Amino acid sequence: MGTAANNIKTDKLVVVIASLSILAISLFLQYEFNIKQALYFLLGIVLGVTLMHAAFGFTGGWRKFIRERHSVGIRAQILLLIFSSILFFPVVGNVLADVFPDLNTSAALAPVGVSVLVGAFLFGIGMQLGGGCGSGTLFTVGQGQTDMLITLGFFIVGATLGSYHLDWWMTLPSIGTVSLISKLGWLPGLVLQLSVLIILYRFVSVVEKKRHQSLQDFSVKRKPETFLDQLIFGPWPAWWAVIGLTLFGFVTLLLAGYPWSITFAFGLWGAKIWTALGGDAANWAYWSSGYPAKALNQSVLADITSVMNFGIVIGAMLAAALAGKYAPAGKLKSKRVLTAVIGGLLLGYGARLAFGCNIGALLGGIASGSLHGWLWLVMAFIGGIVGVKIRVWMKFDKPYGKAA
Amino acid sequence: MKKTNRLIVGSAFGLAAIAVAIDHTQHRLPEPVAATQEHVDMSDEEESPCGMGGMGSPCSMQADTMEDEEYELESPCSMSSDSSPCSMGD
Repeated sequence: MGTAANNIKTDKLVVVIASLSILAISLFLQYEFNIKQALYFLLGIVLGVTLMHAAFGFTGGWRKFIRERHSVGIRAQILLLIFSSILFFPVVGNVLADVFPDLNTSAALAPVGVSVLVGAFLFGIGMQLGGGCGSGTLFTVGQGQTDMLITLGFFIVGATLGSYHLDWWMTLPSIGTVSLISKLGWLPGLVLQLSVLIILYRFVSVVEKKRHQSLQDFSVKRKPETFLDQLIFGPWPAWWAVIGLTLFGFVTLLLAGYPWSITFAFGLWGAKIWTALGGDAANWAYWSSGYPAKALNQSVLADITSVMNFGIVIGAMLAAALAGKYAPAGKLKSKRVLTAVIGGLLLGYGARLAFGCNIGALLGGIASGSLHGWLWLVMAFIGGIVGVKIRVWMKFDKPYGKAA
Repeated sequence: MKKTNRLIVGSAFGLAAIAVAIDHTQHRLPEPVAATQEHVDMSDEEESPCGMGGMGSPCSMQADTMEDEEYELESPCSMSSDSSPCSMGD
């Protein structure tokens, strides 16, 4: 396999460690729980490999569009939403109930209200300051980026604080949950949603063409010699990630019964740590009943979201080591530490208020027909614009005119 | 610098692994079951962050047809309440 031919310095030690970890954890989960729990972990692994090899993040794509009007990242995200919606709508709308009576799936529904409005806005700022979204933070941590460890740490703190305050935020105005599938039926709802997404795709394409006279394509700059080399060592073009994330997200929906999510686990980890330190998270409204209470009182390995998150980190570690990109060199500057702290807090707090991040609320929410996903998209993008301006103000980036 | 970064990241992962191990051992492990029976202590399979129970799920589209009242009582995802923090996953 042409590592030499492609000048890739595969980090063999990390590849071995990651591979053994995958094997050991899968077997452990199968032994302690069931085969499904191991499959959730393996789903996380392939999601992590996909995210890492394609460097598929939402943060950078949004920033490139806001600053330079390059839309390749955003177009890939819209395609992901289009394909996911096509797969999710009929399943969530119970179209297949006659054929698969045991198939029970739920939409990622959440109330459309002030908490989503504020939470998504904060999350959008946090993405640009923290340097990643929900999925981006996980895969860059897996890649061994030390600054993203700080972002993740404060992401957890923010999510925990958010869960502490959520009951107050829920007293603010809301129109309740709105499902396109319930309101319109799955097919009319899907047609409406696809129409809006196609218009969005056309819009960002036109904006890019207007600025640059052409559209960037999804291909990668350095193309390995063979398909197998590219599959194993990367880099993957964005459309590979679109296909991979669509399929693995759909398998998650079928297996778990609800769309892929990430940040519930961050709040859970924080609440568990707080409890271990002598705190009383179990008495907070959020953690005192229903699934959160159950999750808090059982092993973290019993929580599907946590297990998938662990998989994403280790999968990204494996992919980064194969590509020779594990633990990139670089000194951590104090200003970067500050933005990682603030960004992480905003990400975590915002995600809890908004009922999810770019995966659970944006991808899961929109693909399963929840209106809160659309509100999330609008508010997080506005927050992203503010975050990009703050980055320029803090001299992380050059002013807009000098960007391209 | 790369070595230092590897050390930092490796230490963080090691700490996380220890924390997970402690958390797991602090909770009662599932009772052993017969080999022929699929072992599912994950009773939460029906009680996910968004309720996975489909027809009986607190987050399901068919909330009106919900048969299991316990779900509605237990879950924060009930459709019957506008203040419900449904889809707590992210």
